[in-house]
Amino acid sequence: MSSITQNDLASLDDGSKKEIMNFLESENSKQKVQMSIHQFTNVCFKQCATNVNNGNLSSQEEGCLKNCVNRFLDTNIRIVKGLQSIQ
Amino acid sequence: MALSSIFGGAAPSQQQTAPASTAKAVNVKEQLKTQIAQELAVANASELVNKVTENCFEKCLTSPYSSGEEGCVDQCLAKYMRSWNVVSKAYVARIQQASTSGEI
Repeated sequence: MSSITQNDLASLDDGSKKEIMNFLESENSKQKVQMSIHQFTNVCFKQCATNVNNGNLSSQEEGCLKNCVNRFLDTNIRIVKGLQSIQ
Repeated sequence: MALSSIFGGAAPSQQQTAPASTAKAVNVKEQLKTQIAQELAVANASELVNKVTENCFEKCLTSPYSSGEEGCVDQCLAKYMRSWNVVSKAYVARIQQASTSGEI
């Protein structure tokens, strides 16, 4: 696959530019979600994975992970509200 | 969102090309999208590798390295990937719930 040159980019028509912009915007928001999942998994795995003798998740561990994500988000919302109220 | 999507499983699929675009423009555009999607997939994969290494190093390597710890690392990796999927589902469900109830 040959690389894209500056000229190629400059010669794009407006419709294509707009399409690329939309594509970037949607990839950007998808990527934000992905990075949050990485972060939550990192935090919640530490909390919930009690042992690693077994590669499968126990039902407690699965419940713990779900709770962990939801409590993290609850905390996040609470903090945002708290900060808004002291403004 | 499944774990496979972070390895680039979700290829750019929009096929709505404006009628005014020339064949070359379409080509450049698709190439650009593919390149962006690939870079993101690489970024996601390396983030996963870093996080799994960090967590499994903590869980498994308690004493000087011995071959018995390899099994632990393998189990830990499997567990981490399963956790990733559970977290992903829980988070996506929460986002959907929030968007239908008009919170966001």
